[in-house]
Amino acid sequence: MMCLSSFVSSRRWLVAAAVLAASATGVLAQKDAANSVTAYRVGKVITMDDRDDVINNAVLLVKDGKVQQVGKASQVTIPEGAEIIEMPQCWLVPGFVELHCHEAGASTDLHDYVYLTNPDLRTLESVNPGTENFKSARAGGVTTALLISGSGTNMSGLGTAVKFADGLVEDLVIKFPASIKIAQAGNPERYWFRVGRSFMNYNLRQTLQEAKDYHDAMTAYESGKIKEKPVFSATYDAFRDLFRQNFMASVHTQQYQVVMMTLQLVHNQFGIRTVLDHSTFDGYKTAPLVIEGQDVITINGPRQLYFDGTQRKIFGNAARWWQAGIPKLGINTDSPVIPQEELTYQAAMACYYGWGTYEAIRGLTRIGAEALALEDRVGSLKPGMDADFAIWSGDPIDPRSVCWMTVIDGKIVRDVREEMRRF
Amino acid sequence: MKPMRCGLIGAMAVAACVLSSGRHSAWAAEPPAKVALTGARVIPVVGPELDGATILIERGKITAVGTDVKVPFDAMEVDCRGKVIMPGLIEPQSWRGLDIANESLPVAPFLDVGDAMDPSRLYFEDALRDGITSIHVMQGNNTVIAGMSRVVRPIGLTPDEMTVDLGTAIKLSVSPRNGYDRMQQMATFRETFRELEEYTDSIAEAKYEESLEKEKKKVDVGPAEAAKRGRPMLKDSDYDDKHLNLLRLKRGDFDTWVYVGSPMDVSPAIALATEQGFLDHTILLIGDDTFKAIGELKKAGRPVVLPEDLFYRERDPISGEITETFIPKKIHDAGLMFALQPNPNSSMAERYLTYQAALCVRNGIPRQTALEAITLNPATMLGMGDRLGSIEAGKVANLVIYNGDPLDFNSWVENVYIDGILAYDRKDDPRLAEILRLEDVGRKVDEAKKAAEEAAKKKDEEKAAPKEGDAAPKPAEGDNAKPAEGGSEKPAESGRARPRRGDGQ
Repeated sequence: MMCLSSFVSSRRWLVAAAVLAASATGVLAQKDAANSVTAYRVGKVITMDDRDDVINNAVLLVKDGKVQQVGKASQVTIPEGAEIIEMPQCWLVPGFVELHCHEAGASTDLHDYVYLTNPDLRTLESVNPGTENFKSARAGGVTTALLISGSGTNMSGLGTAVKFADGLVEDLVIKFPASIKIAQAGNPERYWFRVGRSFMNYNLRQTLQEAKDYHDAMTAYESGKIKEKPVFSATYDAFRDLFRQNFMASVHTQQYQVVMMTLQLVHNQFGIRTVLDHSTFDGYKTAPLVIEGQDVITINGPRQLYFDGTQRKIFGNAARWWQAGIPKLGINTDSPVIPQEELTYQAAMACYYGWGTYEAIRGLTRIGAEALALEDRVGSLKPGMDADFAIWSGDPIDPRSVCWMTVIDGKIVRDVREEMRRF
Repeated sequence: MKPMRCGLIGAMAVAACVLSSGRHSAWAAEPPAKVALTGARVIPVVGPELDGATILIERGKITAVGTDVKVPFDAMEVDCRGKVIMPGLIEPQSWRGLDIANESLPVAPFLDVGDAMDPSRLYFEDALRDGITSIHVMQGNNTVIAGMSRVVRPIGLTPDEMTVDLGTAIKLSVSPRNGYDRMQQMATFRETFRELEEYTDSIAEAKYEESLEKEKKKVDVGPAEAAKRGRPMLKDSDYDDKHLNLLRLKRGDFDTWVYVGSPMDVSPAIALATEQGFLDHTILLIGDDTFKAIGELKKAGRPVVLPEDLFYRERDPISGEITETFIPKKIHDAGLMFALQPNPNSSMAERYLTYQAALCVRNGIPRQTALEAITLNPATMLGMGDRLGSIEAGKVANLVIYNGDPLDFNSWVENVYIDGILAYDRKDDPRLAEILRLEDVGRKVDEAKKAAEEAAKKKDEEKAAPKEGDAAPKPAEGDNAKPAEGGSEKPAESGRARPRRGDGQ
């Protein structure tokens, strides 16, 4: 860390050091040896485990990039020779999971107006780890993201789940395909000479039906029900896991009709695991239908408030969904629409308009992990989980809190002292 | 019985009981077993009007109507004395529940309006409030061949829940779509129906060859003969969505609603319908001056849906004289069945179907005919005359309860029953309450303003009376001016804040 001094003016460095001194008294150094144990001694760990355990004065042990143990400081034995990072005033929170971001590719790749449905496209082929967006994510404690393509067409391709770590693309990708991006309305209208919903929904239904027919035919062949092997489809072969419920559809939704139609068509008709992205404006009025859908997850944002012109009231979107009894609710930034770093600000806004803080933290961690079907790896902190977390100066949903440090797979990927943008 | 509230405002509140009862949704609630509406004046539309009559509803159907109907001991009785009951009104066609009127595709018979319907539109709520119980949702006139329509009721959380009849009709427009001319419009029809034949030949040929293959025979005839032999073998499932619906259109599986926006469109429309064999299944939607082709319309003898504006005004270019034609009279005098549409673009009373009917009565149409034009006639045109459009035993219990005669503009809708479910209750209409409350505030502000003006006037008079001292009245005048100013601002404010009653989108 001393090498930084040549870049940072001594005065600024002193400020940063002084701030840190208040909270961190131990030695802070990059962990090198893969086998060694690192112990994080913090004021509070939000585990987000099944029992919603919150541990005060806790120690979290990391080994081989995984959480080895987490518990009260008095009950956890720190092995000899372990590196100890002491931040006793701080909160240690699972790394956040962003379910709706367009950080793959360049801005010109955002909307792929090739056809009105593009099942062939894959964000996997445009993951770009070197960007400022990745750094921005780490600055905001965001460790996992679903990179998806834009909403300019009814179906814009397969999404990729990545860690926001440094490294080779193949190391960052943790799941592919992790979603299929669908936009039934609310942008694809601009395609060509303008398209309406009667055609868009017909078109989407046809595409999904083709994929389903292919899957059914292949399944029939594999189980010996038909003898002739169906013609291999490079386009729809990846969709087979969609119908096996191994990955989900991220659906760009906003108002009532679109959310309703998503539930009717994508979830009910095709039995696809469905995540409602954005779901703003009066979309919350579909709550009775969403609750009926049971496994449907809603990822609200980035527009956090809605002015209902007929009732002349301002509603918080997340709060409205929550009050209506939605069991699974998260938050997204749509980054780079809202900088990835500001995911917690979106959650703070949702709380300002009536959502609960703890629920918001769950929405940023567990819910995202469940939507990706990666809840056995990320989204909570218990032995065996990926060591993805961030250390905050306090409650991460409080806009005054600072993310001091971000850890992905046990490696410190962001350390505020080495971050020159703000200190 | 729990009254159902209109629109989605109530939907959230109802959600809790939906969950606990495990039903599909609030609107799919089972109608109560037996309801008797007693003591009302009943306008059954079929047969004479009845005073002090009873309507018995059992499981969503009307089972008895009359003055001597005995109320069964287990029926829930609703006292309707002093009220007037008429069959639910029917909107013969509207695209207002959709996102846009038409797709940019000229020939799109494979589409379904259900994919574009938004149950949360205020339009449906307004329709219910105005006593409309069935709406024929159909794409607009800017098309050649549009998608399949549906008949819906204005209650429900999803299009499927609202739907009463699926795949009701298809719209053709003989008037050119925007940016195209008439001859091209007709050429598109020719091309479409000719292509249907070519397509049918190609799949018929394949079908015949397939049948030979099964029997392990070689193709023994030329393509034309093969197509001819293959045609009888074709099933509906051999066609793709587009061609199947064109085939069904020709076959008369559903009705075809043809838009003829001008008098010159009527003759080609009838020629097209005759040539393709669907004239017997045709309903004509006429434009402003289409009545001028009354001879052709009369000859075709098909039912007619009138334009939204019932008067046609024309100015003589030389004399400047304005002639006014009341369109329903022309159509009625020609002996044609017609249906009325509300005029959604009018901020005036034309947006109420009952007003349109009242206009007809005022302009020489018999009351009975005017009532049929908003109930039984559209039901018949939709092929649902046996289920909807009148109050008779056996029909669906779609009923509107007015506080006075429906054609009297001072009357309003008190309650609406749809399929025997109390779908609307004026006492439980939050949006209407809001509007009325605001009007009340407006009235109070007006009163306050008046009082302030009167007080100012009084003070002026008092000041005028003593006529002593010149400087004193000035500041007093300034003080008096204030409440008057404040008063004049407020009504404008409340006027702006008043919710619009059209589509709230």
